[in-house]
Amino acid sequence: MGAQGKPSSSLNSLLVKVYRLIDEGKWDDQGTGHVRIDYPEGSEDLSLIVEEEENENLIVHRISASEIYRRQEDTIISWRDSKLATDLALSFQEATGCSFIWDQISEVQRNLHFSNLAGKLVTVEILIVTTWYSLVSPNGAKNLIPLGGGQSVYQFAGGPGFDHPSLIVEEEEDNGNFLVNCKSDLLRRDDSFHNINSELRDLPSVELSSLPFILKIVVESGITDQLRIAELILQDQEFFPKLIDLFRMCEKVKNMDGLHMIFRLVKAIFCLNSPQVFDRIFGEEYVLDIIGSLEYDPELPQVQRHRAFLKEHVVFKEAIPIKDSSVLSKIHQTYRVAYVKDVILARVLDEATIASLSSIIHGNNSFVISLLKDDTSFIQELFARMRSTSTSAESKRVLVLFLHEFCNLSKSLQPVQQLRLFRDLAAEGIFDIVTDALQSQDRKLVSAGTDILILFLNLDPSLLRTYVIQQEANSLLGLLVEGMISNFTEDMHCQFLEIIRILVDSHNASGLQRDAIIDIFYEKHLNRLIDVLASSCRTRNNSATISRSVTSCGGVESHAVTKPEILSNICDLLCYCVVQHPYKIKCNFLMNNAMEKVLFLTNRRERFLVVAAVRFIRTVISRNDEHLLRHIVKNNLLKPIIEAFIKNGDRYNMLHSGVLELLEYIRKENLKILVIYVVECFWEQLLKFQHLGIIQALKIKYEQCLEKSEVNNTNTAVDSRKRIEERTLEKEEEDYFNEDSDEDSGAQHMHNQHAHATMPNGTKVNCSSRSGSVGLVDYEDDEDDDDYNPPPRKSEPSMDNDDDDGFPKIKRKSSTTVSLKDEKLLVTKKQKLEVRINDGEDSSVASTCGNHDSPCKSEPLHDSPSQLDSNGRPDESDIGGESANPQIHRLSDASDTGQSSRDDCPSVPHNNPSPKRVVNDKNISGSEPFSVR
Amino acid sequence: MIRGKRGREEIGWRRSRGTGEMSDLDRQIEQLKRCEPLKESEVKALCLKAMEILVEESNVQRVDAPVTVRSPLMDPFFSAFPPFPSAISLPRNVCSVLVRLPPICSEICGDIHGQFYDMKELFKVGGDCPKTNYLFLGDFVDRGFYSVETFLLLLALKVRYPDRITLIRGNHESRQITQVYGFYDECLRKYGSVNVWRYCTDIFDYLSLSALIENKIFSVHGGLSPAITTLDQIRTIDRKQEVPHDGAMCDLLWSDPEDVDGWGLSPRGAGYLFGGNVVTSFNHSNNIDYICRAHQLVMEGYKWMFNNQIVTVWSAPNYCYRCGNVAAILVLDENLNQQFTVFEAAPHESRGVPSKKPAPDYFL
Repeated sequence: MGAQGKPSSSLNSLLVKVYRLIDEGKWDDQGTGHVRIDYPEGSEDLSLIVEEEENENLIVHRISASEIYRRQEDTIISWRDSKLATDLALSFQEATGCSFIWDQISEVQRNLHFSNLAGKLVTVEILIVTTWYSLVSPNGAKNLIPLGGGQSVYQFAGGPGFDHPSLIVEEEEDNGNFLVNCKSDLLRRDDSFHNINSELRDLPSVELSSLPFILKIVVESGITDQLRIAELILQDQEFFPKLIDLFRMCEKVKNMDGLHMIFRLVKAIFCLNSPQVFDRIFGEEYVLDIIGSLEYDPELPQVQRHRAFLKEHVVFKEAIPIKDSSVLSKIHQTYRVAYVKDVILARVLDEATIASLSSIIHGNNSFVISLLKDDTSFIQELFARMRSTSTSAESKRVLVLFLHEFCNLSKSLQPVQQLRLFRDLAAEGIFDIVTDALQSQDRKLVSAGTDILILFLNLDPSLLRTYVIQQEANSLLGLLVEGMISNFTEDMHCQFLEIIRILVDSHNASGLQRDAIIDIFYEKHLNRLIDVLASSCRTRNNSATISRSVTSCGGVESHAVTKPEILSNICDLLCYCVVQHPYKIKCNFLMNNAMEKVLFLTNRRERFLVVAAVRFIRTVISRNDEHLLRHIVKNNLLKPIIEAFIKNGDRYNMLHSGVLELLEYIRKENLKILVIYVVECFWEQLLKFQHLGIIQALKIKYEQCLEKSEVNNTNTAVDSRKRIEERTLEKEEEDYFNEDSDEDSGAQHMHNQHAHATMPNGTKVNCSSRSGSVGLVDYEDDEDDDDYNPPPRKSEPSMDNDDDDGFPKIKRKSSTTVSLKDEKLLVTKKQKLEVRINDGEDSSVASTCGNHDSPCKSEPLHDSPSQLDSNGRPDESDIGGESANPQIHRLSDASDTGQSSRDDCPSVPHNNPSPKRVVNDKNISGSEPFSVR
Repeated sequence: MIRGKRGREEIGWRRSRGTGEMSDLDRQIEQLKRCEPLKESEVKALCLKAMEILVEESNVQRVDAPVTVRSPLMDPFFSAFPPFPSAISLPRNVCSVLVRLPPICSEICGDIHGQFYDMKELFKVGGDCPKTNYLFLGDFVDRGFYSVETFLLLLALKVRYPDRITLIRGNHESRQITQVYGFYDECLRKYGSVNVWRYCTDIFDYLSLSALIENKIFSVHGGLSPAITTLDQIRTIDRKQEVPHDGAMCDLLWSDPEDVDGWGLSPRGAGYLFGGNVVTSFNHSNNIDYICRAHQLVMEGYKWMFNNQIVTVWSAPNYCYRCGNVAAILVLDENLNQQFTVFEAAPHESRGVPSKKPAPDYFL
């Protein structure tokens, strides 16, 4: 290679005879000329040109990638010229010339293979010209510098001297001109000058004067050349030291041009994307100066202060002394690499380079973490210090923050290794430390604590779950719940929410832990969350007129203001629970009137909370669970929703759309019980929205329901199971009435309305006997607000008195009930419900929610032992209506190991081996409300 | 008595908070205009405020074209006063509704650089926000380096001038998509946690789905849906959710017009292709002049289809920093006369350096 390196290149060396193959293998002499590789005029393809004396071209042959060139002996190059359809040969006068051209051809072909590196071809031309003039032969040095003039001409430079000075340039040029031309050439010929010959054996020595050329070489190198240039830079041990000297000098004398040029060069060197070069640049030796050189970005108005930042701002701290110096230097290097990548050159680097830098960072992190992790004394010391009572609070804080970063960086490890590390950390007691951190008054510590938990959960939730279950009093879970609702942790609500979600996620884990944790959450914490909602949304409290109270939130003086976003988060979590734990949530909702409390959100001023409430009830309804639907009807839970909708008026906002979508869902899914409930209870209010298709459609659906139920009613061939179910229900309802007919103000209606008891099914005689139209007419006519408003007011005082226990709200439920005269059913039922609770077990219900839950929660289906007793009916008849029930039965019969994919039911056997007994023990007539179907 | 006292206090508090907030907001807008991201807590607060505003918007948000032409004489009026709070209604003499697609769009391409600066370029050619009404057709995030700053600036402007700027949702305003196309990673990189991503994606759920300009121009990010034949059907969409995989809401954000008869399967895997006849009947039954949408790269910045019944507007110049396309905004005057302003990517010099330095790691 490197013919240009041959000192003996001379004019004659490129003198060739051209032969052409004619018939019968004879070579015909075509003439003599000088060969070069160049662009023919008007062509972009590099060609082999043989030129006779008078600028007559003997041959112009485009060099193609596919052509096969042969070299024979030392002085002949031949090939088959496809254009001329014949073989051609060049016979060189000197072997050196032959070698030179041969190398060039090979090079051109190579480049052609690498797609279109047209620029390279220019380079070749220049070299040939150079050779043509036999310009230079510096002794052994092969550095190139472009010469000016009409053509691009390169000179060998950089060597101690020129052996053939007379041939350097045309006579009129002297060295001075030459340099000037050279510069202008650099600026001018960008387009034609893309690549530097990779024949280049060395870069010019780094000096101010050679900078432009080096820069050009580096900047304009094509993809293929990048490797070569990186190689050259690495070969030259003096390259960086000199560059840095130069930089320091320029900086000292404030040579901005030089500094700008160095900036560009260093930037270009980064863009070479060579791992070995990065290794060198980021070595301790050079890195600060390299970063310093990047402060002089010519495109920025002022000089950056990266070094100052790195030196003064970034203080590397050690929580625990790290003894291994290789670890330390990797740590420092990592930070600097990240700084270059993310800050200094963020805009400049291409994706591949960014990826290389990232992988350096990643590799370093993994190296550091591995070493530290395997250093058992290190880890032990860490934990020992954290546990030690003699450690100051401040250093404990530092240790926690260190631990946080340590865990964070462990993401660089292979998952298996990371898991092993996390197991070790868990065994060492990291969760105890987090538990402490979460109780800190230092937000940063709390935040670090939550982050650590999230890291653990993302890797393997079971570690944390196991801990939470085993922990005494489960205080960590309690802290998490508190974190979600405390104003102090406001910046971290997201994290807390996320942690709880993952913990109670029923899909991503299996087994005992999961169920245990869900149980704990429901028993101890869910009510707390719901109470926060309820107490933040007190409303309708004091006035006897319907204060629809968009404004009256916060009416309870004593209560601290909970931020709306917290309420929104709670609501989100509850929606999540509804989806994740349909059974658990069902019991809980049925028993604790949780749904009603959530719906207090509709009283909030913030519309997005009202929307959240709609979303919540929509999520519940989409469970399509008969019990829940009936509960909704019985407690008139859509009332606040519809009221909010009405109050919203004609505003076409998210509330409007949300409620319409809810109604549309009810209609589409043919949830008869709700269709009938909505139309019968709210038609009058909805009337003014009659123009909306959805409302009309709902009405039509309602009429269809009535018709159908009529048919059903007369139809004796109804599915027997269904009949049984209905009868059961009927019984159930009757039980209510019979048991506590002695009640509240509204109670007198109940018997009249008894017949409606099964209305929710949409299958009852009485229901259908009230034809839809009649009902509607009735509503319109005989409505008087006085009639249905008073009951609500009644219960208020008590409610206000005890905000904190969830119970009184049950009473308030009656207050939310709006029942039309002909629709007393709802009131009746509800009142009954309320009565029972009040009668039976007021205090125990309120105070022992947790215990109370368990029978119900674990055995939702057997929740009405009294029913069993009084009716003497087997549970199954009742259960038949719900598809999931049989399974639960099976499960409850099964042993403890009977885990299944069912969300909640596995907990049944697990927690309450004999749920029925529990229920019976606890069986209080007053607790029956949750048997409400 | 107690109540009264509390009430007064509350009013006083609100008021002071109100002015404080406003200047805070202005400061944040200035900061964002310099492409400096907000603090995490500021993002949270901003998103909460935006939520209160966006929750009031319809699924088909109405946008009024200007009622008066702005005359050059009016300019001093504008420049003489600081921007008005949106509550005070300025004469609606703003000359144009600019319909544009966001800086970063949904075409599947590689990476895009500095689209924030292209958005600033847009504001330069289109006019500053409070002076000009803007309607952004979604896809604010992903692919670019400055998704965070871009979206937050738009959101801050929305909070500051709710009547002046309308943001509707694009298919990239989604948790799933942003996890793949860059916004998620960008938040993680710039804030060290994904909380900001959470706040932003939560607010995405509140963005309106479409807009209707003077009852005549229906604007949406993607296109039509077989489930939607009348605008009123959009009313029943509960939009507070992740963009679903199918159904009306998905289609509005994902569909593309194409030379097909009726409806066709979309190669995107979501939404549909819809043909000219679909557009004709939709426009006719809803009595609109044309549909304006985004969602597809157009080299010329905009492109009419189906006999001027639908136009695609693309406002990310040199998309992905290499597509070489120009961008356009559709400018409407008060008579709904349309004119396209074409612009190119911001010159390199105007791009700043990312101002954020990585927070010094505590230990490592």
